[in-house]
Amino acid sequence: MEKKNNPVAEGIISKEEFTQNWLQFLTEFLSGSKGFYILLILSGLIILISAMFGVNAMYVGYSHVYGIYREIPWGILISGYVFFVVTSTGLCIISSIGHVFGVKSLLPIAKRSVYLSVVTLLAGFMVIFFDVENPFRMAIWNALSPNPTSNIWWMGTLYGAYLVFMSIEFLLLLIAKYRYAMVAGLLGLISGIAAHSNLGAVFGMLHGREFWYGPYMPIYFIASAAASGCTAIIFFTYLGYRIRNERFDKPMELALQAVGKLWALLLAVLMFFVTWKVITGFAGAEGKVLAIREWLFGKYAINFWFFEVFLGLVAPFFLLLVSRFRNLNQMFVASLLAFIGIFFMRVDLVVIGQIVSHFFEYNVTDFPVILTYKPTLHEIMLIIGACALCVFSFLIGEKVFKGHHTEIH
Amino acid sequence: MNWKKFFKNLKMEEQGCVPDETKREFLKIGLIITGVAAGGSLLNVVSVVAEGLATSEEVHKEYPYKPHYSMVFRVDRCIDCELCVEACNQTNNVPEYGWRTKILERVDTKAVDQQRQFMPILCNHCNNPPCVRACPTKATYKDKQTGIVKMASYKCIGCKTCMVACPYDARYFNEEKRAIDKCDFCWESRLSKGMKITACSEACPAGVRIFGDLSDPNSEVYKIVHQMGKAVWVLKPETGAKPNVFYTIG
Amino acid sequence: MKRIIILASTLILGLSVLVLSEITEEGVKYQESEEAGGPEIVYTKPVKGVLFSHKLHVKELGLPCESCHTAIFEMEAFKSQRNPDFNMDSLYKGKYCGACHNGQTAFASNTKCATCHVGVKGLERLKKKAQAVEKK
Repeated sequence: MEKKNNPVAEGIISKEEFTQNWLQFLTEFLSGSKGFYILLILSGLIILISAMFGVNAMYVGYSHVYGIYREIPWGILISGYVFFVVTSTGLCIISSIGHVFGVKSLLPIAKRSVYLSVVTLLAGFMVIFFDVENPFRMAIWNALSPNPTSNIWWMGTLYGAYLVFMSIEFLLLLIAKYRYAMVAGLLGLISGIAAHSNLGAVFGMLHGREFWYGPYMPIYFIASAAASGCTAIIFFTYLGYRIRNERFDKPMELALQAVGKLWALLLAVLMFFVTWKVITGFAGAEGKVLAIREWLFGKYAINFWFFEVFLGLVAPFFLLLVSRFRNLNQMFVASLLAFIGIFFMRVDLVVIGQIVSHFFEYNVTDFPVILTYKPTLHEIMLIIGACALCVFSFLIGEKVFKGHHTEIH
Repeated sequence: MNWKKFFKNLKMEEQGCVPDETKREFLKIGLIITGVAAGGSLLNVVSVVAEGLATSEEVHKEYPYKPHYSMVFRVDRCIDCELCVEACNQTNNVPEYGWRTKILERVDTKAVDQQRQFMPILCNHCNNPPCVRACPTKATYKDKQTGIVKMASYKCIGCKTCMVACPYDARYFNEEKRAIDKCDFCWESRLSKGMKITACSEACPAGVRIFGDLSDPNSEVYKIVHQMGKAVWVLKPETGAKPNVFYTIG
Repeated sequence: MKRIIILASTLILGLSVLVLSEITEEGVKYQESEEAGGPEIVYTKPVKGVLFSHKLHVKELGLPCESCHTAIFEMEAFKSQRNPDFNMDSLYKGKYCGACHNGQTAFASNTKCATCHVGVKGLERLKKKAQAVEKK
């Protein structure tokens, strides 16, 4: 955690100085508001509890405690994974506009975004760890027996590379090596976008699942990532300043304004995407039509109209316009609503692709035409735990890295 | 090609109302879609139905596999006695919560005369298997010799992508094996030990399941599938999976 | 007095339904109603799930009891399946159901298999029906 002075780079320092540095660090860490520590301990506890649920699930067997089953093998754990890695990629994309492509107005948000992109990716990995049945085999066989036609393989490998690049970038940013950070950031951006579009293609290349099949998924995923990135930046930057009781300085205000404007544009793009996904879906294969009907008018109608459309797209869009990109409080509320809506977007994406029975066209009595999935407590607790991990790491990051301040040069 | 009639006949499946012309067209398309061209080669088919999907197997000149294991179901004979399911479960140690083969019950109250039909399903050992394409660790692969889509259980990480990719609900996670399991045409339990047919085909008392080598003109499977005057179909051809399991009546 | 008679007859009716619906190892017997003329019988040997419906043959088709009993079938459910020759070959030769299901009197027994062969699924369905009645 020692980030301030690098004793190796600065030469040998005396024992007293080293101890003094650590003591200083400790006192600073412990000098926060009560609320800060309460939140920290609470989120830490939640992480532990959810980990317990996860380990219990591993012990008892996932099929006994999760709501997934043979016909619907992917549930909210997969959508939770998608949620976190989408946010991570988005944070990378938006922050790279600043320090990779040199758009100076977006520089202030860069450090925090890079830090959070690593955090959210790790949260995603935590969720997937408790979904995959043999997680410890992943590292071995992904390396020894790769399948170049597998989107999952590409996604896993590229996200691994992405994690490395983003971590390196963050460290480089901390020691103010901006040139090298730019390189790491660029590599992170490329691997992030490649990984993320492969994640979209995991769904989009499955011809057996009409709701998902097609080139739309990878494209939509990248657009959605960018929008989620803006959401996360506004959300966490606002919170970061609030918990430190700090006022926004001018460059940061301008940066958030820029992010807000970008976000509004991306929301418009997403609304356009979703509209055409639905319209073209109605002219699609019967499997697709059945899924879309269920999504819009069936059991998932509330998910779609209230959570996805209203909370996730329309309300944030209008709040942003109302705020004129200047009222940061309104923008924060928009980001909060959007986060909730986005989570439901991921759930619907994953589940609705599987609810149309494989044999729906054969009039079989063994399966209903539309299958159902209900998440269980274990799955929900794991998602909550991953969120708590983000909160916990975010809080620690704010304290340790002192609000991620950047010198604009 | 009268598509309306084609699909109507698909649903009715009474041999009487399918004219020969339709059957011929049907068979041609069915064979193209399934990657088998009567007297032709897979190479032809791939260039005709170019889907641009990467497959992990090379395209051979003729029937690429020897023997090219395949199964034909005569669904009008199926009586859901489920002796095949019992035989499969016993032979392959299939746990209670899973199945490698299943009998589906089709009911159409609008059908004339018979309103119920039983339809066995199992892994189709596709020629263009979506599961093999999607598996990150090649834990599932199409055997180069026999065409059977097999499992290398020790490599399976349990991501369940293959389960989602399969259009036929053929796969399930086996907790005892700690890997995905599915029909392997009794390769491990019987064929690799010198037996000639699968447990389910042997157990069927009604002659529903015909198992054999699609590349051998003397095999029952070859003879049924290569009849111009016989309606032979596959499940969900639109997915492009090119299944190796065929359905017919009569 | 009237009330007692009504009560008694309902009881007897209910009991007869109860008594005539049973699940054994040999199969399932399920009495739909008095007018059905006999129970729905699902055989389990030599294969599971073969349905004979008294309701269809007696109530809907109007066949009298003598058309089968006792020349072709005894009036005891599952008696036939205890015979070793209770199989499709015998039917094709005119025994058992084949006496009528020969293509002339009724559809040939080597056609429309799933009409009578309700299978394991049909057997389980009727078992549930019979169990529901037994609970009452």
